Amino acid sequence: MAVNLTRYQRELSAALAYLALLMLVAVAAPAFYSFANLRDLLLSNVPVLIVAVGMTLVILAGQIDISLGSQFAICSVAAGLLAKIGLPIVLVLLVVALLGAALGSLNGMLVARLQIPAIVVTLAVMVTLRDGLRWLTEGRWVQNLPRGFQWFGLGQNAGQVLIILLAFSVFALFAWGLQNLAAGRAIYAVGADAEAARLAGISPSLIIGGVFIMMGALTGLAAALNSIRFSDIQANAGAGLELKAIAAVVVGGTAINGGRGTLLGTLIGVALLGTIGTALTFLGVNPFWEKALQGAIILAAIASDVLFTRAKQRRALIQTQPA
Amino acid sequence: MTPTPSLALRAPLKQRIFPNHEWALLLLLLAEVVIFGVTGSNFLTRTNGFEIIRLSVEIGLLALALTPVIITGGIDLSVGSMMGLSAIVCGGLWRDLGLPIWLSVLITLLLGLCGGGLNALLIARFNLPPLIVTLGTFSLFRGLAEGITGAVDNYSGFPASFLFLGQGYWFGFLPPQTLFLVAAAAIYFFLLHRSPIGRSLFAIGFTAEGARYAGLPVARRLALVYLLSGCAASLAAVIYIAHLGQAKADAGTGYELMAITAVVLGGTSIFGGRGTVWGTLLGLFAIVVLQNGLRLASAPAELAGILTGVLLVATICLDRFTSRAARRVAPATISTEELDVKNSQVAVLSVVILAAAAIVAGSNWLLVRTIKQELAPAANPAATATTGGKRITVAMMPKAKGDPYFVSCRKGAEEAAQQLGIELLWDGPTDLDPAKQNEVVEGWITRGVDVIAVSVENQAGISSVLRKARQRGIKVLTWDADAEKDARDFFINQATPQGIGQTLTDEAARLLNGQGEFAIITASLSAANQNEWIKHIKARLAEKYPGLKLVAIQPSDGDRDRAFAETQTVLKVYPNVKLIMGIAAPAVPGAAEAVKQAGRQDVKVIGLSVPSLCKSYVHDGIIESVVLWNTLDLGYLTVLAANEVKAGKLNPGDRELKAGKLGALEVRETDVLLGKPFIFNKANIDQFDF
Repeated sequence: MAVNLTRYQRELSAALAYLALLMLVAVAAPAFYSFANLRDLLLSNVPVLIVAVGMTLVILAGQIDISLGSQFAICSVAAGLLAKIGLPIVLVLLVVALLGAALGSLNGMLVARLQIPAIVVTLAVMVTLRDGLRWLTEGRWVQNLPRGFQWFGLGQNAGQVLIILLAFSVFALFAWGLQNLAAGRAIYAVGADAEAARLAGISPSLIIGGVFIMMGALTGLAAALNSIRFSDIQANAGAGLELKAIAAVVVGGTAINGGRGTLLGTLIGVALLGTIGTALTFLGVNPFWEKALQGAIILAAIASDVLFTRAKQRRALIQTQPA
Repeated sequence: MTPTPSLALRAPLKQRIFPNHEWALLLLLLAEVVIFGVTGSNFLTRTNGFEIIRLSVEIGLLALALTPVIITGGIDLSVGSMMGLSAIVCGGLWRDLGLPIWLSVLITLLLGLCGGGLNALLIARFNLPPLIVTLGTFSLFRGLAEGITGAVDNYSGFPASFLFLGQGYWFGFLPPQTLFLVAAAAIYFFLLHRSPIGRSLFAIGFTAEGARYAGLPVARRLALVYLLSGCAASLAAVIYIAHLGQAKADAGTGYELMAITAVVLGGTSIFGGRGTVWGTLLGLFAIVVLQNGLRLASAPAELAGILTGVLLVATICLDRFTSRAARRVAPATISTEELDVKNSQVAVLSVVILAAAAIVAGSNWLLVRTIKQELAPAANPAATATTGGKRITVAMMPKAKGDPYFVSCRKGAEEAAQQLGIELLWDGPTDLDPAKQNEVVEGWITRGVDVIAVSVENQAGISSVLRKARQRGIKVLTWDADAEKDARDFFINQATPQGIGQTLTDEAARLLNGQGEFAIITASLSAANQNEWIKHIKARLAEKYPGLKLVAIQPSDGDRDRAFAETQTVLKVYPNVKLIMGIAAPAVPGAAEAVKQAGRQDVKVIGLSVPSLCKSYVHDGIIESVVLWNTLDLGYLTVLAANEVKAGKLNPGDRELKAGKLGALEVRETDVLLGKPFIFNKANIDQFDF
């Protein structure tokens, strides 16, 4: 099967940048490639990957969600409290994902039904939820969790494998669905042109509401999977997570205005931005520069987009000119 | 879009002045003033009025600059980070290059233009989406600021003529920075509402393509608003420095969201095409007055955030429905779908309004309760600590309310307050934020408390406000971290930075037998306290332990999960590290969990943290020891000393303070000493419940 490579230009350039980083590390700090390091790197990026999947859906539909960091904090604390009242861990995962979905549906209703811009709605929800949680917990951690909570009660190795498996099956499921299910294609349609999608018989408000609910549910899942790696739950988890997710999605080639992008790109974006901090430490670079470098990567990613498009337009222009 | 008047006919006055829903904001502002005028102490005073203006200048400048940006349909997330970069460049030019301060300010403003220029280039010239461009520069500018200073440098000691700009008064009441806000508002008013450029900005926001066909230079106009926004951000940074007296890489963190909130609350459409400068100002003051009023009414500060969020949604809903109603009058412009307000929509709206009402009712209930509490002592003769029949009010501020360390201090403080019959106000920034600390103290001065006790985040910045409090006859204590000596009456000294640094280093040396490598997990890279401790740790190493080697200092941003990941990496990059030292409360359990999961029994964890967070790791033998003082006692002692100072029983020159359950404590000059830092370990940690 001949794959049209130019369609995946953005994913390719992100992948090339990632390869370059990996090669640099391979030469300068081969210790990076130990099994333990790769495993830890994978585990610490699981929450970012899961929320970035949700964020990809939201951005593909032409929306944005900056409230997910606050949702993440609430779901983390809720996971701890539920485990403490003796709920089995599987149920905890489920209930927390439902809680996330409920929080997401609040965003979805306001955006899809009342047609308030997503950035305003989620800004308001972000502030409200974060301060509400602070008011209730006053910064107290959830401690003395039951024994069966950490690692699903399976022990460290099995627990780690299970978390990674879960994360990747979620990723695979959504990647497949986005390409092959009618609902997945409808997200692209709504993001590309909501009015055209409506005329084609798709309900934009249903899709938009749906992606926010999905986003919430995935945030809940991410929060739960993150919590079970630790023996306590901190009350201020997930601060800044929304920006990490948006950055990863954009670096992975998804158009911020919606309608274009793939989950594969998001995976590369998460990998690139998630590796860079650890790689810097391995290379012995001062961690002060990490943030500046991340900003530069985002700018480079979108700037390369322009260069590609321009080159393509020029080529197209040459081809269409009469001989 | 704006209900623009047709050429022949002018729109009714109400529509011309309030094209969006600004009238609702005006009502809201009035309501706030009435409510807080009744419930807040000294809310309706001239001083407080000008204090509110002083507090709104920095955010106000950003909000004004963002108004045209958002009107064109764009956004600028980088303004807060630009403030950080401008602040350290301004400080660096002045101190390190020795330039005159006003020249540095000028260059800083130019830097702001350059930063805005970068945004402008990418957005206007290359046609890239503003959200992503400014998300990139948001990281880039802040990262540059941290990189340039190593996040450690902290510029202070600016000349008095410069500081007057942010801290002084003209004619005894007018804060000088008011001038900048007024000037900026006037400039933006004329630019947006009285100039052809302004009209073209609205046109671009309504439809950029259409504007281009109409012959407007779209790219040049867009570039202009981003250039102005960069410049306004650096001006805000200059005022921020003058206001706080210090320049650091974390200046303006999170300000962009507050500014955007003010703009959107003020009726500017996030899709572009409509908005007004006075709307933005109303939105700004609605938020600042809310924060200030809640503080003066001693209601929980978190309410401000919750209410702001609800108001944001509610005002937009209101706008949606009133503009729908307006469109129904002129049916030619509507499509059938928009006409129907669906039942579900009404339901959602009702829920939002109910929620808002519930929160407002809840806050009112809180207000009523606080009023009752204030009236209570008259009927409660049992209260022991009174001045002329009135209960003493002690206002106590932590560095960050959410930090577990301060949460446990609060417990001790409340215990003392209850015993002594003192009314304790506990408020402060939710995260480390020196500007917020000044704001809260200003609020307390206006409110008129008896004693203020502050854990100081930024010495230079807060001292001027504390001096003002002393001039007004308020007793000032510092606890946990000190201000400048003449800015306070007493310092409740739990341990000096030197003592902490030495104790930690000695403990590390003891565990490693004076030989080997270790790493530090700190809070954020720009945390002042931690940097001070690291300085003393390094000094102690150089002086006494040449065999110990500090190989890495990694940030945790006060986040347990980040501390965990950083420790994992450190353990692999530096396999010879035999000890991790966490110097922030969440960093120690984070590091311990990483060591535990790595199965490295040869690595020990020590640090400065709260015992309750570390207890299980101490019992597992992963954390060898936690260095800390008894935080409950620290809170207890602070309130007790506040009471003694107010009653005139503790005066400078005293050698000893009888501190209730703590026994007699030494007083050295104006420092009350809690005692040496305590080392918690397996043997004793169970005796402590905090």
